[in-house]
Amino acid sequence: MRPLTEAELKTLLEKLATYCGKGIQSLIADGTADRHVFRIQKDRVYYVRESLANLATSVKRESLLSLGTCLGKFTKTGKFRLHITSLSVIAPHARYKVWVKPNGEMPFLYGGNVLKAHVGRWSEDCPAHQGVIVLSMNDTPLGFGVSAKSTAEARRLDPTGVVTFRQADIGEYLREEDTLFVT
Amino acid sequence: MTPTKSSGSKGKPSGKANSSSKSKPKGSAPTGISKRKAKSLALAKPGGAQKTKSLTSSDTKQKKKRVYTEKELNIPKLNGIIPAGIAKPKGQKKGKVFVDDPESMMAIMSVVQAEKEGHIESKIQKARQWEEVREAKRKEMEKRSEEKKKKFEEKKEALKGKKGKRRHSDRARVAVEEEDEKPKEKKARKRVSFG
Repeated sequence: MRPLTEAELKTLLEKLATYCGKGIQSLIADGTADRHVFRIQKDRVYYVRESLANLATSVKRESLLSLGTCLGKFTKTGKFRLHITSLSVIAPHARYKVWVKPNGEMPFLYGGNVLKAHVGRWSEDCPAHQGVIVLSMNDTPLGFGVSAKSTAEARRLDPTGVVTFRQADIGEYLREEDTLFVT
Repeated sequence: MTPTKSSGSKGKPSGKANSSSKSKPKGSAPTGISKRKAKSLALAKPGGAQKTKSLTSSDTKQKKKRVYTEKELNIPKLNGIIPAGIAKPKGQKKGKVFVDDPESMMAIMSVVQAEKEGHIESKIQKARQWEEVREAKRKEMEKRSEEKKKKFEEKKEALKGKKGKRRHSDRARVAVEEEDEKPKEKKARKRVSFG
């Protein structure tokens, strides 16, 4: 376990910034005495309380499986891939949101994309290919994805057209149970 | 390691100790005298030991070569160039440089955010521009289709009017023709009278 290098931090923050607005700054400096930090263990990045990260230094690298909240992992090509576990961190600071009607919740949680017919509400002025948080109508975060069309274009779309491409959903906690926390 | 491989037979494990133990008896076998014994014999000879001693001392003097520094050799400077990517200033910390203090993290964050903001802004701007272009195109198409429709209607009206007139004229013409034809027929018709 170690802190991130400058290049790694930049890649991570770029990815987070596709989903989050200005609130992302509060992730680093939340104003409390015990701030949160990013730590990398093998290829996975964790968002941890600093005191916990300091305690974890007493555990040797091979024995440490995970700590804090896993945000995602670095691929072999050096890109960063967000995991569903990061939803609790990014959802409160989301820039663009899509609210899914109850009839669209199950198709999304089974790994499907968000169709226009299932959308209850969406954020205005969302450009195409931008990170979007998917929420249920009662504001429970269900996952995140990438907008397929801008809001203006999506309005003209037919009901079966895809509005948001799925990236991760909370159904993965069950579907990927075996591999989600294995490094 | 190569000499041990060549000397050792196939299949047998080759090792340093093994090879040395094998080679020793080979060398001493023909004479039948061990090295130690030979040395002691040479020492026993009058003058023999001294000769060898002087020889060895002269050999070591000759073998000792002077080590030249790069400056002394006058190597052209081109040969000494270190590529820019490899060169590292001395006294620098080895390995990765971590970013863990909130100030530098915030600095990186603000840079990233500004970049992203600009990116999104340009995307939105572009989308709006395209939307405007599309709107203008649509309006033009509508206008054009309306004009076409209008022209069509006009043509239709004109044709309707013409048709009506033609019909009247046709009737008149037919009537005239009929009138023209009638006297001819009258002339041609033969009458028969019984009287």
